[in-house]
Amino acid sequence: MTIQTMAQAAEAVERPQDVVVRREVKQRFDWAKLGLGIYFVLFLLFLYIPMILMGILSFQGDRGQLTFPFRSPVSIDWWKTLWDTNLFNTIAEDVSASGRQSLYLSLLAGVLVAVFGFMLSMAFRRRWRFRLDVVTFFVLMLALMTPAFLVGLGNQLLWRFMGETPSLYWTALGANVIWGIPFSFLVMLAVWNRYDRHIEEAARDLGANAVTTFREVTLPLVWTGVFGSFLFGFTLTWNDFDRTILLQNGYQSQPLPILIGTWPSSRPILPNLYALGAATTAVTLFLIFTVLIVATLRLRFAGAPVTRKAEELGEAEGLDTRVTGS
Amino acid sequence: MSSSSTPERIGDETALVALEEVEEVEALEQPRKGEAALGEAAAGAGGSGWVTAALAAPGLLWIGFYLIAPLVIIVLVSFWTFTDAGFERTWTLDNYSELFHDSTYWDNMLSTFLTSVIAVVACLVLGFPVAYFLALKVQSLRIQIALFIIALAPFWTSFLTRAIAWTFPLMGREGALNQILIKLQILSEPYQEFGFSTLSVRLAMIQLYILFMITPLFFSLAQVDRHAIEAARDLGGNWWRTFREVILPQTMPGIVIGSIFIFVLTMGDYGTVATVGGGNITSVGTLIYSKIGAVQYPQGAASAVLLVIVLMVGVWVITRFSNLREEL
Repeated sequence: MTIQTMAQAAEAVERPQDVVVRREVKQRFDWAKLGLGIYFVLFLLFLYIPMILMGILSFQGDRGQLTFPFRSPVSIDWWKTLWDTNLFNTIAEDVSASGRQSLYLSLLAGVLVAVFGFMLSMAFRRRWRFRLDVVTFFVLMLALMTPAFLVGLGNQLLWRFMGETPSLYWTALGANVIWGIPFSFLVMLAVWNRYDRHIEEAARDLGANAVTTFREVTLPLVWTGVFGSFLFGFTLTWNDFDRTILLQNGYQSQPLPILIGTWPSSRPILPNLYALGAATTAVTLFLIFTVLIVATLRLRFAGAPVTRKAEELGEAEGLDTRVTGS
Repeated sequence: MSSSSTPERIGDETALVALEEVEEVEALEQPRKGEAALGEAAAGAGGSGWVTAALAAPGLLWIGFYLIAPLVIIVLVSFWTFTDAGFERTWTLDNYSELFHDSTYWDNMLSTFLTSVIAVVACLVLGFPVAYFLALKVQSLRIQIALFIIALAPFWTSFLTRAIAWTFPLMGREGALNQILIKLQILSEPYQEFGFSTLSVRLAMIQLYILFMITPLFFSLAQVDRHAIEAARDLGGNWWRTFREVILPQTMPGIVIGSIFIFVLTMGDYGTVATVGGGNITSVGTLIYSKIGAVQYPQGAASAVLLVIVLMVGVWVITRFSNLREEL
């Protein structure tokens, strides 16, 4: 036998360690996950059903009432009362006055909240290591936690004490803004913590002065956070009832939440209340989802590749690096 | 100024509480590393502490005028004398002594407190599985975020509209709930207690505020060390023991923060009670509101001060369940 044939023979022998045994891996079905998933869906229903029912009932015919069964035909008659002044039970004037009032108030509040929150977060970013930063934090948390109703009461007493009448723009606006500031501040703090300061350093090294660096490097990188703050200020004010109710006076047209909130005690409740409620809810949801979609797109195009690379290198910091596979 | 002081921790537990709330718990460690690497240069570059102070001043002054001053004046007015025009600056304790003998006030305080406790417990029990599912059972980060946002979206919509949506179509005598229960032959005639009752107020509060519990729970559950859970399983711990000895202790801060939120929000609520209760149900909030409506400012202020004291005691008791400073 030549060596070659011996080698061939040796190869032909089946070695046990070469045999690959494929066994079915028994994937245990995660019943807990299924159960919790069903519970989650039920929970979403619990959250959304009142709003859905309200939406459905707002599309009733002219004999529509406040409860089921749905009085056909399907129509937008009740929605029309929100803007058509010629209809019999129109609320168009109230709605447009209140809507405009709410819009101005919320836009202003949004801007103020974004500016104040941004500036406060900048102060903290500058390593504000006075004893005061603890105090400041405490004050901000107080602004977050104080019951809305007490803020309204306190402001009313303060303005009476000063001999003035509370008004929407001088009083209610201020009370709404203090609620938004902590949210804005915390959003901005989160943004700063993911922000790479070396970029600013680089801009400085390339000869940019502080103002240019801020305008051309810092601001473009954090504008989503600033816009998020604005949105917080806007929606919190857009929806506020408890704060504003004590701080408006009868001479100004009421913001929308006050109009809706005082409705049951001041005029007949008809399905157009549902239409109004559905409309304001739709405005808010539309805003939220638009912003989230924009933010997600931005994240995908601007952030994702870097994230992936950092994760692969195991260098990602502050990112969610936990194993998602198992 | 800022560069000369020693670096100290950013804040106390309140600071941490807040961060937890805003979705970025890992936030605290990171800047310090970055800033330490850069040295004090970046911080000191703008000049002095004056720039910092100028940045912080507008927001703080605003809060001072619209929050701190009003809170101070509430306390002051509660010690002043009632007049037909409102109040005058004569010191008195009458407001408080009247309140202490006012059984209506204390009945309301008790029922509001009970409502709050029920809301806290119910939100915890109902919300925990939701947060648990989102944080530990959904594997894809993208789906996790998407589901969380869907669950959170109602937070941004009007409480009031949701309260109305809750009351009229669903809970009333002719509401959907009664109709369904009658169709299913569980009830033979409409159950009156669903509409404009304590029951409906409590249910509505759970529905309106539960997201304030789920959010901190979600973030603390998402931080639970997966390896610890696996290790506990490998060591033979069954589900319940793993839950009780591994997951629960690590979730305690979230539970405490959520409970504080729900407790404060429900104790200080006015809008929900007024709308869902339809005038039949009173709470401390509606009581204070009616005192203000009757221009009894000192009485209203004193009631508010007592409410704040109850709130503070409640929050203090809740924080005893977890040492936030250590565990976060």
